[in-house]
Amino acid sequence: MNRTWIVAGTLALGFGVVGAPGVRAQAGATPWLHVRVEEPSRQSKVSVNLPLTVVEAAIKAAPEKIVRDGRFQISCGHHGLSVAEMRKVWAELKNAGDIDLVTVEDKDETVKVARKGDLVQVRISGKDGEEVRVDVPVGLVDAALSGEGDEIEVGALVRELSKRRGDIVQVNDKDSKVRVWIDESNAGNGGK
Amino acid sequence: MIGKLLLAGAVGVPALTTATVAATGVAWVDVREGGQGGHRIVVPVPLLAAELAASFVPEKQLAQEMGEALEHLPAAREVLKALAECPDGELVRVEEEDERVLVEKRGDTLRIQVHGRGGQEEVTVNLPLEGIADIIGEDGRVSPLRAVRLLRHARFSTLVEVKDGDDHVKISVF
Repeated sequence: MNRTWIVAGTLALGFGVVGAPGVRAQAGATPWLHVRVEEPSRQSKVSVNLPLTVVEAAIKAAPEKIVRDGRFQISCGHHGLSVAEMRKVWAELKNAGDIDLVTVEDKDETVKVARKGDLVQVRISGKDGEEVRVDVPVGLVDAALSGEGDEIEVGALVRELSKRRGDIVQVNDKDSKVRVWIDESNAGNGGK
Repeated sequence: MIGKLLLAGAVGVPALTTATVAATGVAWVDVREGGQGGHRIVVPVPLLAAELAASFVPEKQLAQEMGEALEHLPAAREVLKALAECPDGELVRVEEEDERVLVEKRGDTLRIQVHGRGGQEEVTVNLPLEGIADIIGEDGRVSPLRAVRLLRHARFSTLVEVKDGDDHVKISVF
């Protein structure tokens, strides 16, 4: 489950993701970011609804060690892939068309990352019924990686995100359900 | 002549005082103890008097070590400003077996409601979004004067209401 949360959280907050790529915003309406977490075993429901303007203000005003001039500062040290390296890899992959990027199968779960049309799809299926679906629009990755060096371009990311409507992340496992989506409703019921 | 002046003073001074207090605002603290023989205490506090008292509180005494939180203060200010400008709506809802927390934005007020112990406990706080970020200065010090002045933004509303069983505390600003 931890890995699920890390993947879902990173993709949702770092890149923003949408399951309905064709759904675009109407001009003038305020987009709201909704997060819903349900844990039936604890009879717990948590719902967070924030206008994207508030999210943008929080990111812009974050301390300089996190965000400088509207860009996330990311340091990967000697481990993992730096943002600059991600940018190079993305430049290659972007033009490759539909392709399976990563497939990992082990005894507990299967992880697949693929480019399908306008989306980068992440699918995680666990043996215990855990399921994670994350769809990252190509435009959002472009926006996020439009900066330089080890920086994620926050302004471009939020601007792109505010044009999108629909599901961002869905996580279903045996203990909990998580849904992150964007719409123009301030109620957070998301029609569900 | 002197009698008329005394009469004018006797009527005019209280009337003027009442008018000044009414114009500048009053915080109304109402405490009711539950049970038989429970006390009720009502304390009206003129905001003008509270401001005067607050201006004498040495701010150094209220300095808090904010540590890393201090660097997040500008972000908090920006978020509050953005919240003040955004449309009304429900921001946070937490529902558990025996407890419910609701945070919503209504006009220029942030309303926080907590219902606990199956309805036995109820807390409602209405925070005026305007000016709330100014209570803590750039140096991390809480300003009692600015905190009292903030109450002017909350006039004609219930600032805090707490119900715990039969006990009831309510702070309103008029």
